[in-house]
Amino acid sequence: MARKRASEPATITTTKGFTVATNKETKPPPPPPPPQETSNDQPIAPPKKGFIFKLSLLLVAPYFYLLFFHYQIQHDLIKPILINAGLSLAGFFLTVKMIPVASKYVLKRNLFGYDINKKGTPQGTVKVPESLGIVVAVVFMVLTIVFQFFNFAPDSNWLVEYNAALASICFMTLLGFIDDVLDVPWRVKLLLPSIAAFPLLMAYAGHTTIIIPKPLVSYIGLKVLDLGFIYKIYMWFLAIFCTNCINIHAGINGLEVGQTVVIASAILIHNVMQIGVSTDPEYQQAHAFSMYLVQPLLATSLALLSYNWYPSSVFVGDTYTYFAGMTLVVVGILGHFSETLLIFFLAQVLNFLLSVPQLFGFRHCPRHRLPRFDPQTGLLTGTNDGTLVNFYLRMFGRKTENSLCVHLLLVQVICLCVKFYLSPYL
Amino acid sequence: MTLLGFIDDVLDVPWRVKLVLPSIAALPLLMAYAGHTTIIIPKPLIPYVGLKVLDLGFIYKIYMWFLAIFCTNCINIHAGLNGLEVGQTVVIASAILIHNVMQIGASSDPEYQQAHAFSVYLVQPLLATSMALLSYNWYPSSVFVGDTYTYFAGMTMAVVGILGHFSETLLIFFLAQVLNFLLSVPQLFGFRHCPRHRLPRFDPQTGLLTGTDDGTLVNFYLRMFGRKSENSLCVHLLLVQALGCCICFGLRYLLTGWYK
Repeated sequence: MARKRASEPATITTTKGFTVATNKETKPPPPPPPPQETSNDQPIAPPKKGFIFKLSLLLVAPYFYLLFFHYQIQHDLIKPILINAGLSLAGFFLTVKMIPVASKYVLKRNLFGYDINKKGTPQGTVKVPESLGIVVAVVFMVLTIVFQFFNFAPDSNWLVEYNAALASICFMTLLGFIDDVLDVPWRVKLLLPSIAAFPLLMAYAGHTTIIIPKPLVSYIGLKVLDLGFIYKIYMWFLAIFCTNCINIHAGINGLEVGQTVVIASAILIHNVMQIGVSTDPEYQQAHAFSMYLVQPLLATSLALLSYNWYPSSVFVGDTYTYFAGMTLVVVGILGHFSETLLIFFLAQVLNFLLSVPQLFGFRHCPRHRLPRFDPQTGLLTGTNDGTLVNFYLRMFGRKTENSLCVHLLLVQVICLCVKFYLSPYL
Repeated sequence: MTLLGFIDDVLDVPWRVKLVLPSIAALPLLMAYAGHTTIIIPKPLIPYVGLKVLDLGFIYKIYMWFLAIFCTNCINIHAGLNGLEVGQTVVIASAILIHNVMQIGASSDPEYQQAHAFSVYLVQPLLATSMALLSYNWYPSSVFVGDTYTYFAGMTMAVVGILGHFSETLLIFFLAQVLNFLLSVPQLFGFRHCPRHRLPRFDPQTGLLTGTDDGTLVNFYLRMFGRKSENSLCVHLLLVQALGCCICFGLRYLLTGWYK
């Protein structure tokens, strides 16, 4: 059994020593990269530092520009943000260091998969350690817990919400890791985020109103609608939806972490913009709160991406997708921008809509809904499955895994830009 | 802590790292602790110290931190017999509940009562779920509990002791674990050879356990009181635990007028 993604919300099955049947081809293997040399001291290939450095510059440059130059943000708001950024940077290096260490232990306990999208090439026989999202999650938790010491006085109101957020994220990580280890049935998997979201729902003490989009005000007759306890149900569904959404838009090397990195950067830019244009301190605090959680997420995810980008040396596991999904939901809810968050998730929503027929049983849903890999050309071909990955391949022709991932992330970026353009009108 | 305990059970973390795990897991507790950081000097010592109440400030947080590390690891090392880990937790949890109720009943300060109620809200679920686990884990065990359970239970009790403001009482409830820790010190710190397991020796023919030379309460008890079957040894050790808790109640009763 090999690494799987994108079927009824994806699962990573841990293989317990199964072997993959290789192609009985006599022709020499095609272009895909040779398997990395592994030894006991270096269980996985070194991180792709150059790539990450360039990517970081690309994402972080607009953010820092906005933070320091474009907006005049007062000192006492910027200071904790910078402390948090410093902590996150330390977390980046810590994660880069810890992933190979954890990989050793994970491989020893047979938590690995074979890369399905390289089946038939030498790379397809390499044991890739699974569930490395656990390293990201643990480092993230340590960073966010330690950060409290620098920012909040012990009797501050924020502490309650902040700790509820951490409790939800930690609980989700635990459930995600249990899922990776015990391979929980997929119907149960759908429910896990609903349990993990409880601390968040209990602690949410904000407004339960929604602002009606301007075009609809004349029809509804109200500018602001108070949903009351239905808002909590909405939050609950949002949590379940977002965590599973990231989980099913997966299967390509670097896609899960890549989409999280893109969305997280967009959230940071959104937060900075909102802090910059607003004068209401509570509103600014809400967005700063979101930044305190997203900066560590971004930093640790970039560290994971340095190993997970094509060709993947490690797999992230459901641990990562659930952890990341829950973190994004938590900041959206506690930062009071959950509608914006949904728009950021446009690509994931598209993927979900495409998946509906198979998820709900109208069409047959195979175990994997991955594109078909041709070892001779090294290209992926779209199948008839209802995922954004396959849809894109069917529209735009066969691609290599690497370029497909880049394309899909660009689609993600385009969807985000849609949000930034539309926001004055909503 | 549960997450870290489960990671430990799955990945088999080296034991030096295991010691450090509770210190990380305890951080939210330390950050959130907004209570007093004073200790009350026992009345007999007041003339020597010169103060009735001593504000330790941030050193109190260090004490809390060590308490968390100590309690979680302590339960972990007093183990190895069917039903011992869950059993000791059940005994201590019951003692904590009784203590909480007694303090609520005897006090008229609402904040003090709230602190003990807080502890009750966490210990009741702990007790109930642990008893469910015990129904499978009691001799002969159908399931093992893993480090996940011992770390989870240890942290829960450290948390209620700290946030309920009765951490000194908690330490006395842990008398048996403290004894076990003191007996283990030579081996834990490398003065004597420490084997992978420090369990007593099982004789399949008689079905009895014999104490080895290892420094654990389990072995010490067997050496003092002779060979026993696993079932009766566990019962004896839990009675020792209960005895420790009773000593605590007795001490508090005796010292209430004199100590604090």
